[in-house]
Amino acid sequence: MIIVIGVSHRTAPLPVREALAFPKDQIRDALLRLRAETGAGEAMILSTCNRVELYARQDDPGAVEALESFLARYHSRDGRELQAVLYRYADAEAIRHAFRVASSLESMVIGEPQILGQVKEAYQAAEDAGTLGAALNALRNRTLAAAKRVRTETGIGRNAVSVSYVAVELARKIFGELKDKNVLLVGAGKMSELAAKHLVRSGGRATVLGGRTFEKAAELAAALGGKAAPFESLRDELARADIVISGTGAPGLVIHPADVESARAARRGRHARPLFLIDIAVPRDIDPAVRKIGGVFLYDLDDLKAVAEANVRERLKEAAAAEALVEREVRDFLDWQKAREAVPLLNELRRRAEEIRRHELDKAKRRIGPLTPEQDEAIEAATTAIVNKLLHSPTVHLKEAARESNAPEQLSLIRKLLGL
Amino acid sequence: MSSHVYLVLVLIFYAVGALHILLQTLTRRRLLVTSWTVAATLIGFALHTAALAQRWTEAGHFPAVGLHDGASLLAWTMVLVFLVIYTRSRLEALGLAVYPMAFALVLIANLTPIAPVGDPVLKSLFLPIHTTLAFFGYAALFVAFAGGLLYLIQERELRSRTPRTFYYLIPSLETSDRLSARAVEAGFALLTLAIITGLLWSHAVHGVYWTSSPKEWSALVAWALYVALILARYQTGWGGRRAALLGIAAFTAVAFTFVWMNVFALPVAARTP
Repeated sequence: MIIVIGVSHRTAPLPVREALAFPKDQIRDALLRLRAETGAGEAMILSTCNRVELYARQDDPGAVEALESFLARYHSRDGRELQAVLYRYADAEAIRHAFRVASSLESMVIGEPQILGQVKEAYQAAEDAGTLGAALNALRNRTLAAAKRVRTETGIGRNAVSVSYVAVELARKIFGELKDKNVLLVGAGKMSELAAKHLVRSGGRATVLGGRTFEKAAELAAALGGKAAPFESLRDELARADIVISGTGAPGLVIHPADVESARAARRGRHARPLFLIDIAVPRDIDPAVRKIGGVFLYDLDDLKAVAEANVRERLKEAAAAEALVEREVRDFLDWQKAREAVPLLNELRRRAEEIRRHELDKAKRRIGPLTPEQDEAIEAATTAIVNKLLHSPTVHLKEAARESNAPEQLSLIRKLLGL
Repeated sequence: MSSHVYLVLVLIFYAVGALHILLQTLTRRRLLVTSWTVAATLIGFALHTAALAQRWTEAGHFPAVGLHDGASLLAWTMVLVFLVIYTRSRLEALGLAVYPMAFALVLIANLTPIAPVGDPVLKSLFLPIHTTLAFFGYAALFVAFAGGLLYLIQERELRSRTPRTFYYLIPSLETSDRLSARAVEAGFALLTLAIITGLLWSHAVHGVYWTSSPKEWSALVAWALYVALILARYQTGWGGRRAALLGIAAFTAVAFTFVWMNVFALPVAARTP
């Protein structure tokens, strides 16, 4: 039986999660202690900033309580205090929970991609510590496969939900390819750096305009693999730019309609590509009046946030499809688990049938005397076929019976009937 | 089966494609065109090809004269062009324009009687050559028109700064712009050849190249608009919004040529190809 207990951002406030977290370098030790102290056959610990979960395979009825008291004891907390914030799942519920977590359906930002990597690492740590057995390993494979399916077959992770990624997504909606697009940074702030990094990674070329602190601009330009230029060359650089990210700390407007007009005029006659302006400064750097200029798209911080919010709504819509997919995967996994229970019995049945066949065949051959190779082959084929045909229907029914709810009773009845 | 029966089946399969893409749009699914759509389209297209072959045998001439045949052949050409573009670049959003259009054209073909023409001039080899060039030209220019529409819709989405359905479904501005540019080039080349063969055909039949019919004039106007569009694109690097608008305007002239040719000009069409 697979069980999960844990806390997450949905059930526990940050201080509690912090207190229960397992630092990376303690995971191995914690896993070994968990197995020794709770009698769990297998164990895995998932500890991220939003959740702490213990996974275990344990057939004991008191397994859940054992895990709970281990968690409290390990972190020297009062077990009763944890009762209110802990969730506990067993069997199908535990599997469903594992799938949902890895598929990012339980994440704070639905569809975020980091959780899958964290789940992978957690299983790897358990494997390294030697606490991963057949049951949790099967859960690992199914979990990762389900999460991958959710990611590729639904749009749950499709649209950007952070401001800097939204800027990149918008740039893609305008330019398609970002390769060799000129990205102009006006001011060297933290957020412009983040957005610029994404753009450069997609093939963009960065230029950083520096004002009073030219050194900072030169530093950022070096980090982005681009060049720095003095603020005075704004109009020339604007004429070259495809994407402009402005984030200065200036109290007033920095880019005026006249600047953009002159840049557009300088471009005309060459390739009149659109100009994408991103203003992430507060107070704003770019005069909103530039929106009236043809081919110019201006987004300020509020606009980017509005797009991010719309994208979150899109993700929530896709979440329904993801839920359905997870449900199917859970059912498949449960079916597979149950069908597996019939496997030892099936093997035994086959072995026994083969034994009888061999035995009777040898007896017969002794009576008949030497055979030609053709005759021998024919007899082998005929007896094998008889066995296979006789076993076909019991095999199918055994596999089906294993999926029924009263499988254990059925299997033992079959065992008796077949004299195994 | 007669070509009529085929055409009803074609309508059903294209309707499946059109409804499916509409449904995907309304539910904002990630894939506009799914394997279901593609399967329905391919079956519909195969039946459509059979319908045209059948119609060709029945008519005894290339089935491109009159609204019934013209609409059917144009729909066939558009679906073929869409399939080619789709296999090459997966431009699904183009289906938003092509599916309803193909459905509408086949519906028109189903609702209109076959034009009663038996003019010997239709036996001319000019008919298949001229109309094939013209119809593929129309289809390419329709793609350019659709690309222009996609561009304008996406531009509006981006300008509104609050993304709605189309923001998610329609390709980037640059993609639509490039699609239009290439479709205009191809369409313009085909249209030019169609006009030349049309003039030659006219000369062969009437002894004059130019008969001054409205259809000839609208074809010439469309041709001139496309010359302007192509020159503007290459000489001044004029793309984007204005190219989209001009492409849409030029296509209106093309549409007029087609409508005049296949609706009003009959049976004169038989004499003034």
